[in-house]
Amino acid sequence: MTPPSPSTSGSSKGSKAAAKAEEAAVKQAAQVAAASARPSSKKITTSSTAEYFSKNLQQVGFSSQTKAVLTTLKEAVDNALDACEDHGILPEVKVTVEKAGAGSLKNTDQIRIRVEDNGPGIEAEDAPKVFGEYLASSKFGRGRCSRGQQGIGISAATTWAQLTSATGAKVTTKTKRMRKALSATIEVDIKHNQGVVKSREMIDWNKEHGTTVEFLIDGRIQLNGEAGLLSYLNGTALVNPHLTLHYKVPELEWHTVERVTKELPEVPEATEPHPHTMKLGEFIAHSHLFGRIKVKDWLKRGFSRMNEGSLKDLHGAGIKNALLEKSVDAANEADFKALFMAIQNIQLMAPSTKSVLTIGEEALAKSIKRLGSVDFFAVVTRKPTICDFKPVEVEVAVARLEDRSIEADAPVQLLRFANRVPLQFDKSACAIAQAITSVNWRAYGLGQPKESMPQGPYIIAVSVVSPFIKFKNASKETIDASDELVEEIRRALIQAGQKLSKHIRKEEKANELEEKIRHIEQFGPILVEGLARISKASDARKLRAEEGLRKILGRDARATEQELKKASERLENQIAKDASVDASAEEEEDHESD
Amino acid sequence: MASLQQELPRMSRELCSRLLADLEKAKRPILYATKCSLDNANYNHKVGYLTPGSKKVATELNVSSVKKMSRAIFMLEILLSRIETGQVNTKRELYYIAKGYTKGDARMKALDFGDQDESDSTIDFICELMECYREDFNCYANDRGGQTYSQQLIVEETMPDGDKAVIELAKLGTAAFQPKNRPQSLKLKLKKKVDFCLIVESEGTANTLVTNGFTRRHDCILIGAQGVPSNAVRGWCKLIEDQLDVPMYFFGDLDAYTMQNIYRTLKAGSAASLIRNSDYSAPNVRFLGVLPEDIKKYDLLDYPVKENDAQEVRALKKAADALKNDPFFHDRRNKGVTQILKWLLEHKRRCEQQAYFTVDPRDPTMPEKIIIEKIKRGDYV
Repeated sequence: MTPPSPSTSGSSKGSKAAAKAEEAAVKQAAQVAAASARPSSKKITTSSTAEYFSKNLQQVGFSSQTKAVLTTLKEAVDNALDACEDHGILPEVKVTVEKAGAGSLKNTDQIRIRVEDNGPGIEAEDAPKVFGEYLASSKFGRGRCSRGQQGIGISAATTWAQLTSATGAKVTTKTKRMRKALSATIEVDIKHNQGVVKSREMIDWNKEHGTTVEFLIDGRIQLNGEAGLLSYLNGTALVNPHLTLHYKVPELEWHTVERVTKELPEVPEATEPHPHTMKLGEFIAHSHLFGRIKVKDWLKRGFSRMNEGSLKDLHGAGIKNALLEKSVDAANEADFKALFMAIQNIQLMAPSTKSVLTIGEEALAKSIKRLGSVDFFAVVTRKPTICDFKPVEVEVAVARLEDRSIEADAPVQLLRFANRVPLQFDKSACAIAQAITSVNWRAYGLGQPKESMPQGPYIIAVSVVSPFIKFKNASKETIDASDELVEEIRRALIQAGQKLSKHIRKEEKANELEEKIRHIEQFGPILVEGLARISKASDARKLRAEEGLRKILGRDARATEQELKKASERLENQIAKDASVDASAEEEEDHESD
Repeated sequence: MASLQQELPRMSRELCSRLLADLEKAKRPILYATKCSLDNANYNHKVGYLTPGSKKVATELNVSSVKKMSRAIFMLEILLSRIETGQVNTKRELYYIAKGYTKGDARMKALDFGDQDESDSTIDFICELMECYREDFNCYANDRGGQTYSQQLIVEETMPDGDKAVIELAKLGTAAFQPKNRPQSLKLKLKKKVDFCLIVESEGTANTLVTNGFTRRHDCILIGAQGVPSNAVRGWCKLIEDQLDVPMYFFGDLDAYTMQNIYRTLKAGSAASLIRNSDYSAPNVRFLGVLPEDIKKYDLLDYPVKENDAQEVRALKKAADALKNDPFFHDRRNKGVTQILKWLLEHKRRCEQQAYFTVDPRDPTMPEKIIIEKIKRGDYV
């Protein structure tokens, strides 16, 4: 549970400045929203960001008692994982969720949620900002594929704890430089949007570095189902192959999911914003970050895919050289509008896809086996691509579970991920769910009612990674279903389905062979005996007929054996092909790093 | 028919011996069964009923069909034992008998029928194979319909033990005689010559006519068909036609379902029972009404086919198919019936047999009068 301190962020100067500008914009929006939320007050007042969110926690994932538990856990784990990745630490996270008594609200329990990590730890002076101040984040708008984006979540969890249990986040943290660990309770000063440290002490902690955060909140625990804690924990393990996760949840013993790779995912550098993804207001706000600099230099430095060529195009589109040579802070609104409109009309290269993060087929393949006993699976990692002018990486894993207690006509288990965070609510509106129902799974051997989710003991996991994921709401539950994104996910699913079908075909052939052999053994003798009895044939004839029947049916079985062999070969070819693709991909990477 | 039953054990022995001989040579045996469907049905008015064409369904023994064949031989053995012992059973009983053989026998368990449909289709398969009726194996359906009333008819039944029972229908009071579907054991006689035999689609209407005195006023045989004629009704009508040589009329609803499911089946048999139509159809039956022209003539209450009634819409669709594919409706001799079917498709109206009761609500014998008038005037097709 260690968000990186602002000072350690690796983003470039430009984008950090961009982040600050956007942060200011969001703050302003929150304040305006908070003001308009109370129309009855006669005097128009402004309120702090914290005040706004404390009154609107349902917008950020605290809309029900069960969701409150899940969201709190999620925010704590997200921060832990982001911090570890930023500091090149292989994460080991310990999660405890337990009932601590009756809740203060009707029909709730008091739940204790504890998340301990081996992350870099938080400097003592940063701790109140991390847990007690809204929009204080190292990640805001950086254009990176981190889990957290705005710096709202963990402060909202603290607020929820404060509102329902009258106590903030209990934090213990230690960085490498600290001899003793900081132990404190941090609360949100809602009036001023500031973190407040209470009962602070320095204690001995036999850990080199790391953070533990504990929340006591009102809520209800839901273990099973798509919106359950276990689905969240399993999902998190799946898309984080490098994570070792220990967890203790009610009704179950301590459970450990070991990491399957020691390689940390490479978190790519942030990129500058692409001008075609911006709105005019953002465009103007962006200019304020660069001080006294010529418009043409601002365009080239502050955006991706803008270069000399595009400046020429702009000139061609009617932008006067005088404007390009002007200082940015001297440009007026009309200038910006003309410039912005001209840029929208010129051809620009699509944004770079280098900023997206990939889990990789190999790691996914290893990770999916951690979900339970799996008969077979298929994983697909698409090449990063551009959807709606934003770089996107889609990865899909489909596995058939050995667990036969799942009813054949029960829908498959769906795991959705956005930037490696499980999405567990409001499935039907999500781009991922829409893509899945648009695929004809029957062609690959799965059951599927018309325009519905496929059925059977399968897990379909879809991960969408992008520095700019478009969510439908602030609580990040649903990915907006744009046509381009749905199509990209659909393609990944189709590839996975094709791979999976080779396993299913082989299995079908094997079953067929087995059934044929069983048929021969079962019906052969009965048929011959019946025929012999009715025709009153001699035993000698009967024996000869039995012999003959075995020969005939044996031929059939051999034909099926051949079919099975072919299906197996096809499957092996595919596995070999996948392996060689992986290998060549790695070679390519090696080559690049040379 | 009795002779075929006697032949069946020998035919079965020969069939099984042939299959066994093929197996001995490690050659795949092939079973040929008559294809019982409309595309293999022929109709010739001289014959009078639908007969099977030359199409056969071949079942070659392989891993996939070995189960079907094993089941057929297993069921054949059970059926042969019916003939041997003279036992009689329904299909459902045979299903349970088969279950009894497979119960508790690990080897035979593989043959176990999951439901009655499976055992029924096995019995049908055997009949198509041997070109016989299941009645030849002493497998009888429930004798539904066919309640018969007459002041003149005497039925003489030969019992399985050879005894003879004589039933004089006039002595049954208002009760009906219920024919069995083993027509071969019945012999018909008439006390006095009858003028006609009337088959009424609705059992209830048949009963009303009799109660109101129809059979006392007219020398006739009156039968209630109870919807689609069962084997019992079909066999019984065939017997009356063969033994008594009386004109036969069918009186039922004017709608597509009656024309092509009920009347066609009574007159010429069905496609599903191609191999046994000779004994289960009465080719001389004429369609008395309700005729399309009756609606105008008697000012009958008719109404349009409900477009949202799935059953009625399906019947119309089937009727259109029948006009195209059913050889019965292609024959010139059945032109009258074919034209009625065309009229129904075109006008999409229907008129029920009970509509005759609207003609004069004060006169309970009005339907009877109309029927008699129609017969006298030759007002039928």
